[in-house]
Amino acid sequence: MNIGAKAKQAIDCRQVSLRRGKKEILREVTFTVGHGQIAGLLGPNGAGKSTLLRILTGLLEPTSGEVRLFGQPAGISSLRQLAFLPDRESLPHWLSAADWLFFSEGIYPDWDPQKAAYLTDRLSIKLGTRISDLSRGEEARLQLLTCLARKAPLVILDEPFTGVDLISREQIASTIISDLADGERTFLIATHDIREMENLFDRLILIGGGQIQAVDDVEELRTAGKSVESRYREVFS
Amino acid sequence: MDSFWNPEHFRIDPSRPLYEQFVEQIRADIARGVLGPGTRLPSVRELASAIRVNPTTIMRTYQELERSKLIVTFRGQGTFVTERIDVIQACKRAMAKDAVQKLREVAESIGLTLEELLDLAKKEED
Repeated sequence: MNIGAKAKQAIDCRQVSLRRGKKEILREVTFTVGHGQIAGLLGPNGAGKSTLLRILTGLLEPTSGEVRLFGQPAGISSLRQLAFLPDRESLPHWLSAADWLFFSEGIYPDWDPQKAAYLTDRLSIKLGTRISDLSRGEEARLQLLTCLARKAPLVILDEPFTGVDLISREQIASTIISDLADGERTFLIATHDIREMENLFDRLILIGGGQIQAVDDVEELRTAGKSVESRYREVFS
Repeated sequence: MDSFWNPEHFRIDPSRPLYEQFVEQIRADIARGVLGPGTRLPSVRELASAIRVNPTTIMRTYQELERSKLIVTFRGQGTFVTERIDVIQACKRAMAKDAVQKLREVAESIGLTLEELLDLAKKEED
């Protein structure tokens, strides 16, 4: 894993603001995530995490500011660069998991069928079950598979653990790490499940009230005797 | 991963650098012989994913243990505990010195020498 090999930041978010009428939802959000890093986007509910992720993925246009992914402006053209796991049910619930994987192979030009087969096994995906009949944990695992079976260099996950049982959370975390160890991908994960994830992150982006409250290197925090959780409390309470 | 060595039992303090803690724990396992000379260690990816920590942390851990010659990596074959008993013995000695130094500090903090501390502790058991 050679983090310094590529000079360009995977995510470069500069002074991004979003207004809806008079309401300021995001205010001058600035941060970067380096190639090969795993960054946690943390903050209380209503902090603007999901909105920010939608801007990063190019689904939403900011009022001002700019997002660059691997040096290119975020938008339609950058969709190939990223795999996004949204926070709510996004899969077609009338299909079986097997049907969904079959269609995914056609939808995504960078789909890797071998990887999909490997992840189906690793994440214990029930292929024959209709998506509407999957538990929350099973659905989250299928969503993760859909992101990781692609070759996209940036993976953005919005609350992958919400409502997910412990065993699924552990499976999800292990699978992400295994994928990360190849060093080809960068992850940005929005979560309020700090304990499950704190040993994974090497960078923290703390957001509250639509503004960046802190950006930290996790090992530096620990060297200073702070945990991710204590830092979170320090910033938000 | 070898089943006799179960790194899932690693205890992690989230407010100290993780690689330091893994270095300490693996070093102790080597000293104790739980990880015997020549034992193959899991790959960075296997270990990181088994205990769910960032792979960079495990890379740093292995680098540190390699620097102290306790483990050796052979390109294309993997990472192994050293076969050199003298290196393991030296590591044990360093750990012992470290522990004694800490105990001496405890002794000094209550106005005793190390020897007096040990004598006093034994006396109280009688």
